[in-house]
Amino acid sequence: MSTPIVLARTGSAEWSRLWSVRSTWIFAAATAVVVLGFGTIMGYDVSGDPTGPGPDATAWDGGRFTAMFALFGVLAMAVVTSTADHGTGGIVPTLQWTPRRGVLLAARTGVIVATMTLLGVVLVAGASVVVWAFRPSLGLPFGAGVEALAELAFVYAAGALLAVGLGLATRSTAAALVSVIALVLVLPMLLAQLPYEWSVGLSARMPGSGALFLIFGEGPRDDMTTASARLTLGLWAVTSLVAGGLRLMRTDADR
Amino acid sequence: MRGLSRQYGDVRAVDDLTFDVPAGEVTGFLGPNGAGKSTTMRIVMGLDRPTAGTALIGGQRYVDLPEPLHHVGALLDAGAMHPGRTGRGHLRIGARTNGIPLRRVEEVIEQVGLGQAARRRIKGYSLGMRQRLGIAAALLGDPKALLFDEPVNGLDLDGVRWIRSLLRGFADEGRTVLVSSHLMSEMQLIADRIVVIGRGRLIAEAPVDEILRGLGGQRVRIRTPRIEDLQRALADRAAVERTAPGELEITGLGATEIGDLAHALGLPVHHLAEIEQSLEHAYLALTGESVDYHGRTPSYLNGAGR
Repeated sequence: MSTPIVLARTGSAEWSRLWSVRSTWIFAAATAVVVLGFGTIMGYDVSGDPTGPGPDATAWDGGRFTAMFALFGVLAMAVVTSTADHGTGGIVPTLQWTPRRGVLLAARTGVIVATMTLLGVVLVAGASVVVWAFRPSLGLPFGAGVEALAELAFVYAAGALLAVGLGLATRSTAAALVSVIALVLVLPMLLAQLPYEWSVGLSARMPGSGALFLIFGEGPRDDMTTASARLTLGLWAVTSLVAGGLRLMRTDADR
Repeated sequence: MRGLSRQYGDVRAVDDLTFDVPAGEVTGFLGPNGAGKSTTMRIVMGLDRPTAGTALIGGQRYVDLPEPLHHVGALLDAGAMHPGRTGRGHLRIGARTNGIPLRRVEEVIEQVGLGQAARRRIKGYSLGMRQRLGIAAALLGDPKALLFDEPVNGLDLDGVRWIRSLLRGFADEGRTVLVSSHLMSEMQLIADRIVVIGRGRLIAEAPVDEILRGLGGQRVRIRTPRIEDLQRALADRAAVERTAPGELEITGLGATEIGDLAHALGLPVHHLAEIEQSLEHAYLALTGESVDYHGRTPSYLNGAGR
């Protein structure tokens, strides 16, 4: 049996696995409510502002403000879905059905990352449309939209990779969630507030700072660039996935 | 299995285990708690890695089998399923991984008797229903070999009888069946041969009949009023033990030989029979020194407190 066929079958099974549990739908719905809800608040806010957000602003900029909420939804969903098998013991039948662990890793990562990226991008696009509906004069220029959503797609893909890697490495939903929140939210903020150059520098190298810069264009240090932010986030994502992948490939299939 | 070993820190869970599981027979896999049965099965299925040795299925490692569900169906841990998924959803995922048509899912649901329960979430299942679902998953690929760890746990009498006929049917079709159980009476009914392990090591591997006869040490009970004469005549031919007044138990000679000898000596025989042990007795005799975890009988049950 060729690897592409096994990979396609495993990918199909992973897709079923993802959507055949209620928690996925609940997380997706909750994320949608929060993101579109904030889009509505943003739209209502700008519609009542006679001066407007600025001459160059578009509805995409309004939607961008909801992107962090979508990121947290994406991270939580990726953690829960990647740790579910170990938390429930489902890893036993999973590896009986797909004993080639490299194939399982590729299929699981691919399905989760693609789904989470698409979900995040669609929700932010939806929030942007909501903002535009409140104030059509802002416009929804196609080129600006592609550029903004492509950057967000990178953030969500890297974030989902980070979460999947941590989930596979820790095999615990609680431990992975705490790790992700620490790396994306708590540590970057905490380190940036300390009165030391090294802590601010370290904060700039945390994945949360990279994501924040790519979403809002701001980071803990002034010398951060789009390229450095992408590199920081990408390296964390790849490192995390390598750690999780090694744990899956080389150790016993324990809960 | 050849030289299979697995070390967990200081504990050697499986120790140089070598045995075969032939096709066309039900092989019972016995051992006390902690003997290494489940670890051995997990190694066979590629879930745990052996420290040394190999476990092959039809000459291949499990991980190298193309479409493994068509080769081996295994039930290792009935509780190892996502509780939020329906039984049918669980089976459909398994079918997709191995390119099995979804109509086969409905067939195995009916075969194991899950019926309408298949649409319910697994968290609402009893242990017996989970067991049936695990068996359904094992049967999905109509495999050439079955590997069941404690399959009758939680099953009602109807389920136990069904498992018995399922395993028997599989073996009669020339397929391979390895099944572990703590229920000796059950194993005595369904197994053709027995593999006994203790502390990770092979203790015995033999057909059930041979195990019941005492692994080559067939025992015969005889009663005669001239016990001294018979004991003298048997002394240099077999191991003889006086178990009651006028009664001997002999190991190493068959009932026919002993009967012929008594007849040749002109000794009256009031009783002559081969002693058939229950599998439970044979098992306890075999594993007596390999039991790591002993329970203690409360004093009020053995009369010490009275």
